[in-house]
Amino acid sequence: MIILRSMPALVAAALLWLAGCAPPSAEKPGKAADELLAMPWDSLEHSARNATLTLMMWQGDPLINAYMNDYVAPQLKQRYGITLNIVSGQGAQVVQILMGELQTGKEASAIDLMWINGETFFQLRQIEALWGPWTDKLPHAQYINFENPFIGIDFQQPVAGYECPWGNVQMAIIYDSLKTPRPPADRAELAAFVKANPGRFTIDNQFTGLTFLKALLIDIAGGGQALSGPFNEAKYKQYSAELWAYWRSLQPYLWKQGRTYPEGVAPMHQLFANGELWFTMSNNDCEVDNKVMQGVFGPTARAYVWESGTIQNAHYLGIPRLSANKAAAMVAANFMISPEAQLRKMDPAVWGDGTVLDLNRLPPEWQERFRNLPNRRHAPPREAIQANALMELAPEYMIRLAEDFRREIIQQ
Amino acid sequence: MRSRSQPWLLALFALLTVAPLAAGILYALAYSLGLTGLLNTGFTLAHWQAVLGAGVFWQALWFSAAQAVGAISLALALALVVVLWRPGAFQTGLLSFAIYLPLTLPAIVVAFLAFQGLSKSGLLSRIAYALGFIGGLEQFPDLVNDPAGIGILLAHAGMATPFFILLLTQLYEQERVAAYADLAATLGATRRQRILKVQTPLLLRRAFPTVVLYALFVMSAYEIPLLLGSQSRPMVTVLAVEKLQRYNLADIPQAYTISVLYSVVVIGATLWLLGRQKTQ
Repeated sequence: MIILRSMPALVAAALLWLAGCAPPSAEKPGKAADELLAMPWDSLEHSARNATLTLMMWQGDPLINAYMNDYVAPQLKQRYGITLNIVSGQGAQVVQILMGELQTGKEASAIDLMWINGETFFQLRQIEALWGPWTDKLPHAQYINFENPFIGIDFQQPVAGYECPWGNVQMAIIYDSLKTPRPPADRAELAAFVKANPGRFTIDNQFTGLTFLKALLIDIAGGGQALSGPFNEAKYKQYSAELWAYWRSLQPYLWKQGRTYPEGVAPMHQLFANGELWFTMSNNDCEVDNKVMQGVFGPTARAYVWESGTIQNAHYLGIPRLSANKAAAMVAANFMISPEAQLRKMDPAVWGDGTVLDLNRLPPEWQERFRNLPNRRHAPPREAIQANALMELAPEYMIRLAEDFRREIIQQ
Repeated sequence: MRSRSQPWLLALFALLTVAPLAAGILYALAYSLGLTGLLNTGFTLAHWQAVLGAGVFWQALWFSAAQAVGAISLALALALVVVLWRPGAFQTGLLSFAIYLPLTLPAIVVAFLAFQGLSKSGLLSRIAYALGFIGGLEQFPDLVNDPAGIGILLAHAGMATPFFILLLTQLYEQERVAAYADLAATLGATRRQRILKVQTPLLLRRAFPTVVLYALFVMSAYEIPLLLGSQSRPMVTVLAVEKLQRYNLADIPQAYTISVLYSVVVIGATLWLLGRQKTQ
């Protein structure tokens, strides 16, 4: 009788116990890693067959999602027998998950491959969550020039084989050529513009806005390589003081009097599309073409960069140290940096993301195909803005700017 | 006779609800004191000092409480007006079904709807422009992303009003409020007196525990204040998540400190409510 009455509780307890049991890992992370790097590539590809690979990436753009779901995933399945499982997550979410796994002593990560760059790379190296070096193993890595500082260095840190370059972008400001036929081209012109047109300009409170502030900081410091190298506290204090003074001079004329800022580029794009803002920004210089094609922006939207320059950086693929599917991750990364996949990604109708491949290292027929890609219609050609490309700063600049922006500007 | 299965059921309930919550709070406390965490180096009160000494935390707590009180007061007032005006309207017919529909909207959807409706380039602004009330969108008042949190308050009030209408409708029937009102009428009470001294106090007294719990829920909201709020005046949850997920990993213990402090406030309020219920 007691057993009968306790049955619901016993069943529930049993279910809880079962739920707590972890599924068996595909491979032991530590033991297999060295063997993988020693294997011939054909054997590594073969060992990755039938694996289910979990890729964590930002899924905020429908074109990028379509590229991954409709092209990359089916190709991986067809060519290598790999099932690609894409999950949403970026930046801090990736770091939080991997931190939790390391703290709890988990043997196999929930993530096998992740889309990262910049401060995420810095944070993951801080907590030793990345596996590597591994990129030299990839056959298509021969087409990448790691000596290119915009490719081989991520936020002033050498990638050192711990992350594989996947795409290359440069920050651009997007405007409506009908409303603003001559957009401001430097700090002085911006100050005059916002005073003449209050409430029409702002930056977002996340990565893109901070990237714009970094470009301003570099400009204030003298431009070019003025802030290159490791973080310099004295330079930061000196030039950030000027930056905040400049920003406070703009503040009364910014959107919402500069007391609040859109929480990311998505709301900012929406405010631009609605006409409330006359500018928006993107870390991808080709995004204006994507958005016009999607009908989000009007046909008169254009993108440009300041003469003083905007930051160009690459984005990367990383493999967690605890990934149980490193072979499949490497095979997938190798495909994603293949000339075929990079060419398709670079098409403005597909994504418009710059390639990380050095065209001079490609076979002639591939060089021809890259050079014959349809041109951008609303964004400037990459060749036209390359001279205005600034290198990313050391990650400490971003961390300090984020904290000080809150303290010096938002909380005042 | 006391059921023999009660201790088992109570133990299971504790295992499923209280234990994970207690474990989470204890972990957050340990993290905030530097006792655990990948980058922590041992016991320290530095994070607690940083949070308690920073005005932004107290401001966020006060702002969250003010938003909760404001939104719930507005929703409750609207619900009372509707229920006392037409007590049977939501018990049968189409309205009794339609009133449930707003409850199916998640907070993130409500936040987007509020943004599309209340922003300077939103629906209300366009209607006002079309009717000639404003000459341009810059003349439309700041209703979202404003320091006063008007958009947050309206969004939460909009979510809470249908819920309170349902609650008060049920209580009106359950507590036989109509009968008490009739009794008061026979004793010479005016309509105003019946509403203010009989019906409203009866309904509010019975609804009080649910109202307080809903207010705590509003205080803990995240999506609506994230999309509709202003960074110069964040709510507690937005502040905690910002500390947890921004660029400086060294801020993570402060996020846990804020979480522990806020949990103490919420648990304290819940225990006070339970104690009050018992004495009554």
